[in-house]
Amino acid sequence: MVEMVLEVSGLTVCREGSVAVDNVSFELAAESDTALIGPNGAGKSSLVQALLGILPHRSGEVRLLGRRLGRQGQLQASVRDQVAYLPQSFGVRNRCPLSVAEFVGLGWDPAGIRFNWRGSEARRMAVRQALAKTHCSDLADRLISELSGGQTKRVLLAFCVVRPRRLLVLDEAQAGLDSQMAEQFYGLLFDLRRSEGWTILQVSHDLEMVRRTCDGVLCLNRRLCCSGPPDHALSPSQLERVYGRGYVPYHHHHANHSS
Amino acid sequence: MGEAAPLAELLQLPFMQRALLGGLLTGALGGLLGSFAVLRQLSFFSDALGHSSLLGITIGILLGLNPTLVLIPFAVIFALLVSRLVERSRLPTDALLNIIYSSSLSVAVVALSFVRTYQGNIQSLLFGDILGVSWLDLGLISALLLTALAYLGLTRRDQILLTIDESLALSRGVAVPVHRLLFILLLALVVAISIKAVGVLLISAFVVIPACASRLVSSHFNHYVLLAAGLGGLCAVLGLLLSGALNLPSGPSVVIVQLLGFLVALALAPRQGAIS
Repeated sequence: MVEMVLEVSGLTVCREGSVAVDNVSFELAAESDTALIGPNGAGKSSLVQALLGILPHRSGEVRLLGRRLGRQGQLQASVRDQVAYLPQSFGVRNRCPLSVAEFVGLGWDPAGIRFNWRGSEARRMAVRQALAKTHCSDLADRLISELSGGQTKRVLLAFCVVRPRRLLVLDEAQAGLDSQMAEQFYGLLFDLRRSEGWTILQVSHDLEMVRRTCDGVLCLNRRLCCSGPPDHALSPSQLERVYGRGYVPYHHHHANHSS
Repeated sequence: MGEAAPLAELLQLPFMQRALLGGLLTGALGGLLGSFAVLRQLSFFSDALGHSSLLGITIGILLGLNPTLVLIPFAVIFALLVSRLVERSRLPTDALLNIIYSSSLSVAVVALSFVRTYQGNIQSLLFGDILGVSWLDLGLISALLLTALAYLGLTRRDQILLTIDESLALSRGVAVPVHRLLFILLLALVVAISIKAVGVLLISAFVVIPACASRLVSSHFNHYVLLAAGLGGLCAVLGLLLSGALNLPSGPSVVIVQLLGFLVALALAPRQGAIS
């Protein structure tokens, strides 16, 4: 029997007084890689934020690793520790004086009150390994506010991988990356997914990347318009249902840029 | 500028000893809270809170109560109302804060002009009277410093995540609304308790300048916070000694020393400076 990491049933999410996500249901099987696609304003970011408890949901049910997510985002700490989030934009407000190693260490620490500031040897080791896995060892002492877009994404992945996780949620991870950087990032993500056994849910506008790397697609336009494997969900007729009549997919070949 | 007194003689005086201890604690407290307030873009909020505190002091004077004791609940209620207003308003935050602090300052000054019985000096309200710091004030500042150290130290991970990115903090289970509220309350208490020593016009300098100076030369968060607190305390002590030695106003002397500290930090860190 296939284990379900995420189960969503009749989920409705409101944002600034209007319905952003309407009665959405789906499931994610363990170690699957699913893309969430849809036009701008379709509610993709609202949906993933509601799944993580960042936004409250109005109705419906979300189960993460079998545990129910509270309407206001309450979730058992041991379950939350197994879920990681890579946001669309990463503020790093006002040149925060935080080194990469310090930041990645925060991904290891549990929430709440903590007495040990310096951290244990296990924590230091976990940070070193996370940086090595994401090819960020040379960035350990750099300030996170001084990193390039590509480096920031890799460091965020290190933040996710510093503890064993089951589910990784990415909100437009390719935003701000040029095609070569995006290609490298997805290569790393693909390797980590296999080695760490992650289940991935990623918001994306890059349909070519989705077609090549994902094994499931959810098409959202406030409601779930269609879902299934890429061959089915990304067919011209299904894309018209999501993006509207006259939609012409733009084929963006990343390989061309690297030559 | 009056006649200068020998520093060694001044240091023997109990009020000067209290002033130095008060300056050290107030400066360290301002630097500690400031290190988070600056990164969370709350510098102007602390400035507005400081300016508006004159209204709280005026209410205390009008009611015939100890202004410091009236100021504490006033600052807390004021801070909560203003932060709620800022969250809900569609106006830019700086514009809204400007309206609030300039109008409350104006109301306070007009109300003060009608008070005939007030024995205090308006200049000491505006620029502080650190030489008038009592043992009670020192006790309150010490308790607040310990509370702030315990709160920020024990929830260090949550505070840093909240400071760098709220959505990331929420996704990691940080109680963002609770911490945001507690920090605003702490900042309001610091402003209310430090006003007597620092004055309504200069309180934001105690919060902002040491933190900015520390930011320029720090590349680790712990170093940044500790250096901001240390710089705040050191600048306050040096400023008070300068003030005592040359018979200058104490609050402005401390702020001038803070500025010198900031300029030194700027010179030491050109690569990471405010301009690069």
